[in-house]
Amino acid sequence: MANFNTHFMVASGASAMVSGTLLSMEVVTPEEAVYAFLLGTLGGLLPDVDSSHSTSIKVGFNVLSLLMTMMIIFVKSSTYSLIEMFIVAGLVFVGIRYALLDVFRKISKHRGMFHSIPVAFIWGILVSILMHYFFGLNELVSWVYGLMVTFGYFVHLILDETYSVDLGNRRMKKSAGTALKFGKFKTLKDKWHTLIIYLSIPLLLSFAPDTALIQNAIFSHEAWLNFKDVLLPYNGRWFIN
Amino acid sequence: MMKHFTYSVYMLLSFALIGCVPLEPSQPSSVYGGIGGARAPVGVTTPTPSVDVKVVDRVYGVKPIHYSRSIPIYFSTKLARTQKAIYKYSEPKRAYKRKGFAYGGEVSWRGWLVETSIALPNRAGRMLTPKPYMVLFNDEQIVEHILGYSHKLITKVDK
Repeated sequence: MANFNTHFMVASGASAMVSGTLLSMEVVTPEEAVYAFLLGTLGGLLPDVDSSHSTSIKVGFNVLSLLMTMMIIFVKSSTYSLIEMFIVAGLVFVGIRYALLDVFRKISKHRGMFHSIPVAFIWGILVSILMHYFFGLNELVSWVYGLMVTFGYFVHLILDETYSVDLGNRRMKKSAGTALKFGKFKTLKDKWHTLIIYLSIPLLLSFAPDTALIQNAIFSHEAWLNFKDVLLPYNGRWFIN
Repeated sequence: MMKHFTYSVYMLLSFALIGCVPLEPSQPSSVYGGIGGARAPVGVTTPTPSVDVKVVDRVYGVKPIHYSRSIPIYFSTKLARTQKAIYKYSEPKRAYKRKGFAYGGEVSWRGWLVETSIALPNRAGRMLTPKPYMVLFNDEQIVEHILGYSHKLITKVDK
């Protein structure tokens, strides 16, 4: 299993490549590309938030609590007095950073369903819904951000699986197959968990923004042609323009 | 007597002839270049002067009329390579937009929306599939544009 630094470096490198490509294809603006990069990197750290003592969970909950606190301040700044705002913001921060983290540590199990392919998609859909409804972003950018989280998540899972191969002794470690999996089917409880996760995907998709724009921008024949156009200098002259 | 009769016949005939001549349609003098100005040749349609009917909605404001002129100007600073852009527009529709729930969720804009498709070339010069945009107006003033023809926070009153 790769450590926090490795996950961070690989996820940020991969996210930089993808967001740079999207910028070059003019799918996103430079500002949106920066957010896409950050979200891809965050996605690369997300799977380890189920580990009670990992750096990911501390970083994740710090970021989440700060984000929620800032959001409360933005939303209520015009209606609440300063004292009211500080009290509410403090309660939100402590509530998420300490209380919610404690609850999360108790209920989550490392390398449970958090390390699975369907959960990677669920995070992506959740982020796209959040971006569309909460921040009012358009359908294309909402999906780009969501898919960047899914992408980062996949990078993490693949990296974990890669580290489960012991190249020196030419054997598979015990952790092989626990990261990049479709579900857990050992016990009845595992099967129920897996079923609920799969059922939640179509439910979330029904709330998600429309996918027509993202399909055209990334998953179409035209997108492929567009990618080929920007891959090499179109006029054949390198480093001239 | 005969002279009077002949005179009356002449008068009647001249009135009848004047009555048979069709009147010119009333056109502004500038269209034909004023009195004695050049007329359009037969078979060529001349532009009929359009009358801009100002539609005013008490809630949604004045319906934009000159959107086909203002939208390309607006996008010329927002998009790249707009010199070769091909624009298509829908009729303005009444619509309103709510803020994102993170910002309170209340109605932030009410006005007229023009669905616009813009085809642009990429940087290699290949024309791409037109992109859909919703251009939001406050009277004749463009307030904002949103990529796509739909958004969960936008409600189109006119379908």
